[in-house]
Amino acid sequence: MLYIKCPFCGYRSQKEFAYGGDGTVKRPELNQNISDEKWNEFLYLRKSPRGKHIELWHHVAGCRQWFKVQRNTVTHEIFQTTKMNEEIK
Amino acid sequence: MKNISPLNFVHKVGKFGDYNKKSENNLLKISEVNGLLIHQITQYKNSNIDISIIKLDGLNFPSPLKSTSNSNTRILWLGPNNWLVFSSVLNLIKKEKNKFNETNFAITDISHSRTIIELEGSLVNEVLKKGCPLDINSLKDGDCASSIYNEINITIDFISDNPNKVRISGLRSYGESLHYSITDACLEFGYEAI
Repeated sequence: MLYIKCPFCGYRSQKEFAYGGDGTVKRPELNQNISDEKWNEFLYLRKSPRGKHIELWHHVAGCRQWFKVQRNTVTHEIFQTTKMNEEIK
Repeated sequence: MKNISPLNFVHKVGKFGDYNKKSENNLLKISEVNGLLIHQITQYKNSNIDISIIKLDGLNFPSPLKSTSNSNTRILWLGPNNWLVFSSVLNLIKKEKNKFNETNFAITDISHSRTIIELEGSLVNEVLKKGCPLDINSLKDGDCASSIYNEINITIDFISDNPNKVRISGLRSYGESLHYSITDACLEFGYEAI
C-alpha cells in the first residue's frame, strides 16, 4: 500500500487515489498537422521505465484534483508530488 | 412531491448489536439527517474574487480540510475552490445569491443526491477506523475530510469532540450500502438507531 502526499490534502492512503498514467506525455499542439505515427505515439505508446518515473495521480476520493508524482517503479518510493502547474525538480 | 429518505427501507429505530449491560450514555447513536439543503459552491479557476471577503449566513469559507459552522449552516471544504454547504435555512442560497455572480461561481443544488448519517458516542472513532484509511485520531472538531468507507466515497464532518459526533455524507445511491457498512461496524459495540 502506497502512502501518497496529495499537494492539497496531505498524506493519504493509496485507496483514495487513481493512477493516471505517464505524466510526461505532451499533447501535440492544437491546429497543427501531425503525422499518423506521431498521433499514434501520443495516444498509445508509453515508456515503461525501471526507476524514477513521473506519473499522474487523481485524488478521486478526496479533493478530486490531479497532480504529479515522481515514483520509483521498482521500490515504489515516492520522491516528490506537485500540483499540475508546478514542475518536478 | 414527497421527499423519500434514501435510508427509508434500512434505517430502523431500536437497539442493535451488543448493547446489553451497557449504559445509555456509552451506546453509539446513529441517526439519519434529513431536511437539509445541500449546495456545492465552486469558484471558477479564472475568477479573481477574494473568497475570504465573502460570507454565507455570516460564515467565512473554510480553509483546506476545515469547516465553519453556526447553528443553521455548515460549510465544508471539499477541494481547492470547492465547498459543500449544508443548511437548514431553506432560502439561504436564494437570499445570498447576489454574492455569487455567475461569471465567478457555480452553485449546484445537490440536496436530493446525498444521504447523511450522524454518529454519536465515545466509540465513533473506532467505527470510522474500521472502514476508513484516514488517521482518525488526529482529526477533531472543525475538521472535515473526504475519503472512503469500505470503498464508498464519503465526506466526514467532525461536528463535536465532546461528545464525539460526526456526520458522514455520501451519494444517495450508495446510501443503503453505506448504512449497512456503518451499522455492521457498530454491532460489536452495540448501537441505538434513533
